Amino acid sequence: MKKLCIGVTGINAVDNPGPGIGVIRSLKECKDLNVEIVGLAYDAMEPGIYMDWLVDKSFILPYPSTSEEEYISRLLYIKDRVCIDMIIPTLDAEMPFFIKSKEKLESYGIKTFTPSQEQFNLRSKAKLEETSLKIGIKTPKSKTVTSYDELTKAIEELGLPVMVKGAFYKAYRAYTHQEAVGFFRKIVAEWGYPVIVQQVVSGEEMNVVGVGDGKGGDLGLVAIKKLWITSLGKIWTGVTVKNGKLFELAKTFIEKTLWKGAFELECIVDHNDIYLIEVNPRFPAWIYFATGVGINLPSRMVKKAFGMDFDNSTEYEAGKLYVRYTYDIVTDLSLFQKITMKGESL
Amino acid sequence: MERLSQLAINDEGFIFDPYTGNSYTTNKTGILILSELKNGKSGEEIAKITSEKFNIEHSVALKDVTDFIEQLRSLSLL
Amino acid sequence: MNNTIYEKPIIKKLQTGFMNKFGTGVFKRIRKDIDGVAIERLVEQFGSPLFVFSEKKLRGNYRKLYNAFSNRYPNVLFGWSYKTNYLDTICSTLHQEGAIAEVVSEYEYKKAKRLGIDGKNIIYNGPFKTMESLKEAAEDGAMINIDHFEEIQDLENVAKELNKKIKVGIRVNMDTGIVPQWSRFGFNIESGQALDAVKRISYGGHLILNGLHCHIGTFILEPNAYSQEVKKMVEFAYKVEDEFGYKIEYLDIGGGFPSKNRLKGVYLPPEVVVPSIDEFAEAVCDTLLENLRPNDFPKLILETGRAIVDEAGYLITTVHAIKRLPDGTRSYIIDAGVNILFTSFWYKFNIEMDREVSGTAEPSVIYGPLCMNIDVIDESVNLPPLERGTRLIISPVGAYNVTQWMQFIMYRPSVCIISEKGEPLLIREKEDMEDITKREILPEEYELKK
Repeated sequence: MKKLCIGVTGINAVDNPGPGIGVIRSLKECKDLNVEIVGLAYDAMEPGIYMDWLVDKSFILPYPSTSEEEYISRLLYIKDRVCIDMIIPTLDAEMPFFIKSKEKLESYGIKTFTPSQEQFNLRSKAKLEETSLKIGIKTPKSKTVTSYDELTKAIEELGLPVMVKGAFYKAYRAYTHQEAVGFFRKIVAEWGYPVIVQQVVSGEEMNVVGVGDGKGGDLGLVAIKKLWITSLGKIWTGVTVKNGKLFELAKTFIEKTLWKGAFELECIVDHNDIYLIEVNPRFPAWIYFATGVGINLPSRMVKKAFGMDFDNSTEYEAGKLYVRYTYDIVTDLSLFQKITMKGESL
Repeated sequence: MERLSQLAINDEGFIFDPYTGNSYTTNKTGILILSELKNGKSGEEIAKITSEKFNIEHSVALKDVTDFIEQLRSLSLL
Repeated sequence: MNNTIYEKPIIKKLQTGFMNKFGTGVFKRIRKDIDGVAIERLVEQFGSPLFVFSEKKLRGNYRKLYNAFSNRYPNVLFGWSYKTNYLDTICSTLHQEGAIAEVVSEYEYKKAKRLGIDGKNIIYNGPFKTMESLKEAAEDGAMINIDHFEEIQDLENVAKELNKKIKVGIRVNMDTGIVPQWSRFGFNIESGQALDAVKRISYGGHLILNGLHCHIGTFILEPNAYSQEVKKMVEFAYKVEDEFGYKIEYLDIGGGFPSKNRLKGVYLPPEVVVPSIDEFAEAVCDTLLENLRPNDFPKLILETGRAIVDEAGYLITTVHAIKRLPDGTRSYIIDAGVNILFTSFWYKFNIEMDREVSGTAEPSVIYGPLCMNIDVIDESVNLPPLERGTRLIISPVGAYNVTQWMQFIMYRPSVCIISEKGEPLLIREKEDMEDITKREILPEEYELKK
């Protein structure tokens, strides 16, 4: 079988890990998939670069905030060097670029499997409430704000505590007005406007990961509950669950939006009520959990993209445990040197 | 000069400072100036060397060498 | 003796979180000419700094925008937003393309007429219209869009004085999902204020309501907001027609379309976040056609300014000095400051060099020439080490800068246009002492004794 060369971003396996390493592990562990992995990093210190048992080659990319032209030309340079067949972007800030440039990349022989611009917009934090209403899913009330004045109004309307969120990253729970102002300032300084203020709903937080086929169907779904999260809010231990209502919500979401590509739904389950808190348009950092229980979504996505047959079983066990741990690598400076000087590991 | 002599500089311009653990990158001209500084040459002398080597005006070379020394100073390498 | 290319020496410390040799761009952006005319030739002819407009781009942008709408709706008219750029040559070019004038003050009104625009082809907007100008506009048959209740009264007085009924439009505002909502102009629809304005006009009997105007904001990145706007305007128009018997002949949806400029505080580049003009046109025209009654095609007026002119404008500047800041950052002082680049407060511009420069790019600061701390053109732009005299070409700067610029400690520079034939033509001379001092009066007792 032909070897596929897959570029994966988000190989920053740090205390707030990107999903890349989980995606790569899933691809490498798929027995009937022959892949070479190209790690696409934004910093010479991203651990994935040094994990040579998973990442075969690495390249540095310019930040997604540079011009489209530069970003594309860098990808084409990499394509030239290592013949990438597909890229799996896993970071929120990259998604708009990959969505917008889908056709262009395809014309250069680089496949992606991402949602359409329209689907991507529907789940934006600023639009989520409206979208949920349309497709009949509950979601906490939220307000988009661009000034202190509007922030104050939003808090008055929603009542404390509130979640203060950036358009791409960061979500903080604020218990006082003052705290909310602090978070607002922090988010704006790093990620700009707008900021989203969301009502806090109580209940059990659960997450669903899946891949939509773009026609209303899915390539598999796995639901989990986070048991222990770090101070950065990242999962450290978790357990698989099977909750009919949760699957129903996920299926409604896919059917109504015709979602294409990976997604993670963040939900709050309160008895019979389920609230959709957020839709991440990519794999979550814990994606290997799904692979570990037999639903290898990254490999199914790659196979789907290349028109190959794949195992589409949906069965997994509830009560499987996920434990994250840390690991140490000792290596010398030579690879680091190459990455900093040349921007690539070759 | 003692600080400079501790630096490990490779041909591509990667510099590692075993004393602090910091890494730096520099370019060809930077490598040349660093090695001449290690040899104990003064800014004026180095400017003369670079102007001859690269065939540039002495005044430009002197300005650039002075600027580079300022950079080294701001990085506490001098 | 040696053919190694010289690079200025540079040393960079590697810092976690910044170990990306590509980071915010490594492309050396070189621009040796504008529309085929060498940067150096332009500077020789007109000096530096120098604003340069491209006629080709200006007309090209206009046609692209106009066609995007007129291909989707049968009755489209563009009003050139004078406040975006009211240089005679720019206005004339757009009038030649078929745009009428959209003005927001007595000064602009008179400037349009001076250029040869018939009052009938002027849209008169704005919250501050003097009585004299209202009278003139009413006599001329201009399209006046009323902003507040006082103006209704003013126009009724004009109507009585002229002894004729005046056709007017009203400006409305509404919630289109855009934050912040522009609620200070015109009458609010949701609160019922707009309907009250219509009632008031109808009750007075001196004015005939024939148009609606709205402008939802600026640099709008959400095409759907325009759908909302159009939908609400059409609903309101039919309500007015059905309940008061007026015929709404035009819907003026304002402007606010973004240019491909990079807003500060927006992480992704404009090519990725700014929707294409076709997406906006589709949102507007599809909503219109869905909501209008059969065979009713009121005039759709657009007042797009920035999206037409911004990318047609460049500013050529020159590096005057190079300075290493105490923290090691390289900085440059150029000959153009924020006083003539008003939009630098919210844009991060493209900055291009006029020549190939070898050497590693490093984040650098660009300062203007003003003796003021706020005079920063770019806080961090990746540039190779530049020599004094290097020209930096800043763009897009065609919108607002040459209307909002401010004379401060030096003269405002020349402005030229490169004609479609590729000929550079001066369209505004650099100022001189006379321009700035001629309105000053020095009373005799203050004169310095010789």
